[in-house]
Amino acid sequence: MMFDPPGPRGRRRSRVATAVSVLVVLALVVVAVRRFDAAGQLELAKWRPFLTWPVWRYLLTGLWATVLAAAAVFALASVAGLGLAFGRMSAFPWPFRAYVEVMRTIPVLLLIYVVLFVLPAYGLDLPLFWKLVLPLAFSHAAQFAEIFRAGVLAVDRGQGEAGASLGLTHAQNMRLVVLPQAVRNVLPSLVSQTVGLLKDTALGYVVSYLELLQSGRVLANFNHLLIQTFLVVALVYLVVNASLSKLARYLEARSARSAR
Amino acid sequence: MSHLPALVDGFLTTLALVALSFTGAFALGLVVVVLRIGPLGVLRAVGTGYVETFQNIPLLVWLVLFVFGLPEVGVRFPLFTTAVVVISLYEAAYVAEALRSGVNTVAQGQGEAARALGLTFGQTLRHVVVPQAARRVVQPLGNIGIALTMNTSLAAVAGVVELTASANRVNLVEALPIPIFVGAGLCYALLAAGIGGLAGLLERRLAT
Amino acid sequence: MRWTTLSVVVLLVVAGCSGGESSVPGTAPTSGIDALVAKAPVAADLPAGSTMARIRQRGELLVGGSLDAPLLSQQDPGTGRLTGFDADLGKLLAKYILGEPKTRLVTATSETREPLLANGTVDVVLQTYTITPQRAERVAFAGPYYSSGQAIAVRRGTGGIAKPADLAGHKVIAGANTPSIAAVKAAAPTAEIVEFGSDPECLTALRQGRGEAYVQDQALLIADAAQDKDLQLVGEPFTTDPYGIGLKHGDDQFKQFVNDWLREIQKSGLWQDVWRGSIGTVVAGDPPAPPVIGSAQGS
Repeated sequence: MMFDPPGPRGRRRSRVATAVSVLVVLALVVVAVRRFDAAGQLELAKWRPFLTWPVWRYLLTGLWATVLAAAAVFALASVAGLGLAFGRMSAFPWPFRAYVEVMRTIPVLLLIYVVLFVLPAYGLDLPLFWKLVLPLAFSHAAQFAEIFRAGVLAVDRGQGEAGASLGLTHAQNMRLVVLPQAVRNVLPSLVSQTVGLLKDTALGYVVSYLELLQSGRVLANFNHLLIQTFLVVALVYLVVNASLSKLARYLEARSARSAR
Repeated sequence: MSHLPALVDGFLTTLALVALSFTGAFALGLVVVVLRIGPLGVLRAVGTGYVETFQNIPLLVWLVLFVFGLPEVGVRFPLFTTAVVVISLYEAAYVAEALRSGVNTVAQGQGEAARALGLTFGQTLRHVVVPQAARRVVQPLGNIGIALTMNTSLAAVAGVVELTASANRVNLVEALPIPIFVGAGLCYALLAAGIGGLAGLLERRLAT
Repeated sequence: MRWTTLSVVVLLVVAGCSGGESSVPGTAPTSGIDALVAKAPVAADLPAGSTMARIRQRGELLVGGSLDAPLLSQQDPGTGRLTGFDADLGKLLAKYILGEPKTRLVTATSETREPLLANGTVDVVLQTYTITPQRAERVAFAGPYYSSGQAIAVRRGTGGIAKPADLAGHKVIAGANTPSIAAVKAAAPTAEIVEFGSDPECLTALRQGRGEAYVQDQALLIADAAQDKDLQLVGEPFTTDPYGIGLKHGDDQFKQFVNDWLREIQKSGLWQDVWRGSIGTVVAGDPPAPPVIGSAQGS
C-alpha cells in the first residue's frame, strides 16, 4: 500500500469523481451507440445471423482449434522455458543465453516459414497442427525463460540461503523455496504471455490451420457483415482470455493466502 | 534490384510506426499504471478494465474494428494515424503491466515505510518506487518494443504499406517469396536486436 | 467472474462436441456440382511414376487455394463446403485423376504458394493465379483456365471517373495480393493504391471514403453491386488476366496432363456448366468462350 486509507473528505471526493467519470463514460457510449445505429449498423438484419447455430458452430470450431493449439504451445513452451531459465543461471549459461537472445529477435513468421518450406525439403513434413505449434513453442520458450528468470532473481537472496542452512539440497531449495515464490512474483507476466500465445495462434492461417480469427475472416467474407463479425469475434476472445486472467488471479490470491 | 526503393520506403514506414507507436504506448502506459496502482477505486477499475480489454483481444481485431468501425460512429482518422493509435493503445496495456510488475518487485515494506514518513502517493512513487523499479522494467519494456516491432506488420490491415506489405507487393511481381520474406524477416530481426541492445545499454546505465 | 468462467466452459464443451462433424457435412443437399461431378470424365491409364499416378495412390488431390474468395473458392460456414469456380474445377480435376472428387484444400497465400508447390505440399494451386512470364520461371502453369477482367466501381454519383485513365491522381482501393494492383499501376501510374485484405473490407473502405474508386474482378463487383445499391460499375473490364493452374516447375508431364483435361472439359461443355453454377449466378448471359490453352505468355 502506497497510500493511506482515505478519510471522510477523501471518500467524498472519490465518490464525486466516480460519479462524474461514470457519467462521462456513459454519455460517450450513448453517443457512439446512437451514431452506430444511425449508420445502420444496428439493424436487426445485420445481427440476426449471429443468433443462428451454424454460424456459432463455425466460430466455436475455430475457437476450439485456437484453444487446442494454445494449450499445446503453453505446455511445450513453459516446460522448455523453465529449463532454459535454469540453464541460464547454471555454470554454463551461454548456450541458453544465446538461444534466448536470438529467439526473441526472430519473427515467429520466419520460424513458421522454416517449418513450412525448409524442413519438407529434408523429408520432414510435419502434420499441420505441429507446423503451427512447434515454431510458436520455440519462440515462446524464450519468452517464458525470461519471465521465469526474472521471477527467480526477484526472490530475496536470503530465502535461498535460509533454505540451504536448513540442509536442503540445491534442487530441493529451488523446488520448495525459490520457485513457488518466483512463480508468484511473475504470475501477471505469465498470464500475459499465455494470452499472447493464444492470440499468436492466429498465425495458423499461414499453415492452413483454421482457428478463430481466420474463421472470423472467412465468415465476414461470406456474409459481408465485416463490423458485426469482428465485434462478435472480439467478444469471444474477450470472454476466453478474461476467464484465463480471472483464473490466474484466483490462483494468485490462493497462493498468497497459503504463503502467509 | 529495381524494387529496392519500394522496400526501403516500406522499411522507413515500419521505423516510423515503431517510433511513434512506442512513444504513444509508453506515455499511455504510464497513465494507465498510475491509475491502476493509485488510491482512487474507480480509476483503478478503469485501469484494470483497460488492460484487460486491450490485452485480451488480438491486435488484428482491434485494427479492423478501428479502421472500419470508427467511421461508422463518425470518427475518421487517416489510415496511418489509425494504425499508430491502435498499436499505441494496444501496446500501452502491455507497458502498463510491465511497469506494474516493476512496481510490485519493490518490496511492500518500502511503500509502507515511505507512508510512515508522511510521503504522499505521488512522492512515494517519485522518490521511492520509481528509482528502484526503473532498472527492473527496462528489459520487459525492451521486450515490448520488440513485440511492437513485429506487430507493426499487421498495419497492412489498415492499408499502410510498411515493410511486410511492400515485400508482399514485390513478391506479387517477382514470385520469389523465400529471399524476399527472409530478407524482410532479417530486417525485423535487426530492428529487434537494436532495441534489445538499447535496452541492455540502458539497464547497465541505470545499474550504476 | 463466475458467469464468465461458466460461459467459457459451456462454450468449450459445445465447441468440443461440434469439432469433428463440421468438415464432414452429413446429408448435404445435392448441389449443382455433384451432378457435374457425376458426369465428369476420368483419365484412362496414368503413366507409372508420374505425378498423377502418385496422387491416385495417395487417394486425394492437395489443392492450394483460398477459403475466402467469393464466386471462386469460398467456404460456406454453414456447411463447411467449398463453393465457387476454382473449387468446382478442383473437384473435377480430382475426379479425373482419382475417379472421385476427393480434394483437400491447403490454404495458400501469395507468399506461400510458390514454395508449397516447389516442396510438394500441394499438387496444384487454384487461386486467382495470373500467368506472368516472371512467375513462369518459378512455377509451371496449366491453362489459362479462366480469363478474368478487372473493372472499376465507384459510389453512385461519383463523377470524373469514366475510364481507367481517369484513375490518375485518385486514391484507388484494391484487394491486397490481387491482380488489381498491377492493373491499376499499368492503367494509371499516378493513382495512389490503398490495399485492404478482403472484398468486404474494400467495400467498407469505399463507402467510408478511403478512396474514390475500387478496382476488382468484374464478376465480384457485379455480385457486390447486386447487394449494395450504392455501388456502381464504370464501363467494361479493362484487363484480361489469364488465370492458370499452378504446378511444380518443370513437371511437363503433369502440365500436359492437366492441359489435356482442360481441353476435354472445355469441349464437352463441362467448363461452361461450372461457370454457370458459380460466376454465372451473378453475371448475366451465356458463358464466355473459354480461353485457349497455352495462349498466355508463360503458360
